[in-house]
Amino acid sequence: MADRQDKKVKEAYRDRNFVTIFTRGDIFSKLSYVLCGLANIRNGQVIKGCLFLLLEAAYVLFMIRKGASLLSGLGTLGTNTQGMVFNEEIGIYEMIQGDNSMLILLSGVVAVVITAAFAALWLFSIFSGEHARARRAAGRHVNTFVQDVKSLFNDNIHFSFLAIPVIGLGIFTVMPLLYMILMAFTNYDSEHQPPGNLFDWVGIKNFITILSTSDRLSATFWPVLGWTLIWGVCATFTCYFGGMFLAMVINSKGIRFKKFWRTIFVITYAIPGFISLRFVATMLGERGIFNVLLQKWGFTQSPLPFLTNVSWARVSVILINMWIGIPVTMLMVSGILMNIPGELYESARIDGAGPFTMFRKITFPYMWFVTTPYLISNLIGNFNNFNAIYFLTGGAPNSLDYFKGAGKTDLLVTWLYKLTKDSNDYNLASTIGIMIFVISATFTLITFTRSNAMKNEEGFQ
Amino acid sequence: MKKTVIGLNLKYFLPAMAAALIGCISLFLPFVKTEGKWISLFSVCGRLGGSRADFLLYGAGICMFLSAVLALFSFVCTKKGSVITWQIVQVFGTIFMTLLIFSSKAILESSGVSTAFLNRQLGIGYWLGLIVSYVTLFLIMRITKTNAGYVPLTILSIIWLFPILWIVMTAFRAEQGYYVGYFIPHGFTIQNFIDLFSNPGVLPFGRWWTNSMIVALCGCCFNTMIILMTAFILSRTRFQGRRAFMNILMVIGMFPGFMSLVAVYNILKGLGLNQSLAALIIVGAAGAAMGYHVTKGFFDTIPKALDEAAIIDGANRFQIFTRITLPLSKSIIVYIMLGGFLGAWSDYIFPSMLFGDKQSSYTAAVGLFWMTDFRRIDTYYTQFAAGALVVAVPIVILFVWLQRFYVEGLSGSVKG
Repeated sequence: MADRQDKKVKEAYRDRNFVTIFTRGDIFSKLSYVLCGLANIRNGQVIKGCLFLLLEAAYVLFMIRKGASLLSGLGTLGTNTQGMVFNEEIGIYEMIQGDNSMLILLSGVVAVVITAAFAALWLFSIFSGEHARARRAAGRHVNTFVQDVKSLFNDNIHFSFLAIPVIGLGIFTVMPLLYMILMAFTNYDSEHQPPGNLFDWVGIKNFITILSTSDRLSATFWPVLGWTLIWGVCATFTCYFGGMFLAMVINSKGIRFKKFWRTIFVITYAIPGFISLRFVATMLGERGIFNVLLQKWGFTQSPLPFLTNVSWARVSVILINMWIGIPVTMLMVSGILMNIPGELYESARIDGAGPFTMFRKITFPYMWFVTTPYLISNLIGNFNNFNAIYFLTGGAPNSLDYFKGAGKTDLLVTWLYKLTKDSNDYNLASTIGIMIFVISATFTLITFTRSNAMKNEEGFQ
Repeated sequence: MKKTVIGLNLKYFLPAMAAALIGCISLFLPFVKTEGKWISLFSVCGRLGGSRADFLLYGAGICMFLSAVLALFSFVCTKKGSVITWQIVQVFGTIFMTLLIFSSKAILESSGVSTAFLNRQLGIGYWLGLIVSYVTLFLIMRITKTNAGYVPLTILSIIWLFPILWIVMTAFRAEQGYYVGYFIPHGFTIQNFIDLFSNPGVLPFGRWWTNSMIVALCGCCFNTMIILMTAFILSRTRFQGRRAFMNILMVIGMFPGFMSLVAVYNILKGLGLNQSLAALIIVGAAGAAMGYHVTKGFFDTIPKALDEAAIIDGANRFQIFTRITLPLSKSIIVYIMLGGFLGAWSDYIFPSMLFGDKQSSYTAAVGLFWMTDFRRIDTYYTQFAAGALVVAVPIVILFVWLQRFYVEGLSGSVKG
């Protein structure tokens, strides 16, 4: 009986969507589109309905008092430049406070996010009201407020558990991101710094400059992008195969003190990256210990330009990244290697396969199968591997052909960071950030199609 | 070889013996070019000038020669013991040959055989001997059925530990300064550590370290809680918008994080939290949910049947979380806590932007980086090394101790 009623409620609820709730609903449902929670109040959930109504009132009040002007500020990003204006009454020039485009943009984004949050609440209240109505119409019990609160620990636990992460992400991730994305469409560069100057919308001009003009900017962007891709691929695959080799050696039969060997390699991983990388950078300097020893040992007469010559520096960062990255892969691969069914090797050995054949036909296909998603996310991670580059070379050696301060080992991310920190070209930094997003998104999409394809061929084992 | 000896794989005996003999012959081949003439390793031995590294030259010669003798001896009288002895001698021979490449300069220049020596002046006798000594070693290890993996492992370990050893050496070095022309310090001291903590006016490292500890511990607790809760919801419950939520998180994650640091900084300023440690903790915790993947993968591997049984027994979701999921997830909890601690402990970019020049709230990461500025590096290099050790040691201990959980947590996620 109860089951059938449940079904009835569900059916009554299912064919209702945002539009039909309005067109087929009673007067309260319709009114609740304007006054949130009215349907809840009508259908026995007074406290819940009142809460909705209260929140709506708060939002409306906010919009009237502040929000509307904040939102409209987004259109112009401020009109009054700070400067001296002649005051006729007193007869002198006065300093007037201009508009601060940056704060206008930021608070505009805050208002947009609050509005979006309210829109979500509004939709939620409509569906909640409809739910209560449907249950009441079917003669089922309508949850009281106390029961609703209790359900936050049971059926609706996702609301209580996700509340903090969602609020946190909203304030400290989504809002800043929106702000920075919008910035890519303005001319907020070193010459338009608030509060002294205003900046304004410029459409997609930044993207055009970076991508297609023969300007110095695009002459920097494309080489940096190229090096980012080369670096990403090299760094990922050297660490991947190196780590795999190391894990296979350590885990092979007949090696004793496995834990000891693993620990030796893990130490580099455990030391915070900024320390080991900074240190290695000093060791590779012209009078650093590497050069001293190499000369002492008779390998070279003059110091080697490890981090000062373009090609040397590029090879050096990849090699040093191996030093950091191989132990990580080794740790991860160790777990997977132990999962490869031993019978596969057993039968291969009986068939007369040598170690290389076994690697080529068993170990590697298996690893490749399991770790493709990891590999792709690692690739993206390496495109954005800020630490390895910033702490080692800081992007140096710098190049005169490049836009302000960018160097030959700079990745897109480190260049982005320099643009925000050193030269305050926020619009360019944001544009590059969006480019990085596009690259990451492309690779993630590839992973997704790949891993879906792989789910269909689970017959590997 | 028609013989069979238990415990030996004699298939490789003849190649190994041949290699050992070639190694012996290489001793008589030209070793180094001097004054336009090639002279062999033996004739160099006769002209030594008393360098500390001379024993390497003797050792290499003697070991390679002995190795050939032992090879012949084992051929006549094949016993396990003789082959093992041969292997040990060959190990030393290989080590000496390898070390020679680093010490030839010192040896030859002190003996007056050569001046301004460079390794490229080494002749075929050396390079052949080096390669053959490794080949011989591998072949003997085949005979004795020893895993040849020890050789690359040893070499790699030395490469991996070299920079770390340098940090340790520098931290205990009595001579100050960045540029030193030698690896092992002339004097050892712990003064660097004392200086690091006894000079709070200029270099409040103790303060920085405490700051780091506070941030890392708080961050570790909050992050772990948030990640566990998010992962639990996304793995164990189904609700409308779940997929959408995960997709949104993924899309957000594809933007480079510090693109928005400027905005975060302004928001914190608006909230009156700039330049405070609380800001670091809050921002860290706010973004923690993004790292739910591994944990979710781990939770996915916990059988659903457990949850269902608990529901039948009248448990609500919250109780399932606290009483069933958490107790089963020890390794992953350790994994996230470690990750959270490490992340906060070694974060540099955001704190450096947040604190600017307010030195008293620097974390150890920012402070150490401040010390490596090119204007200060010469003064602070040894103290920087000492500080690096103080920062790194807790992590290394944690890591080595909890390594097992780390591997388990990671492999659990991949399996899921």
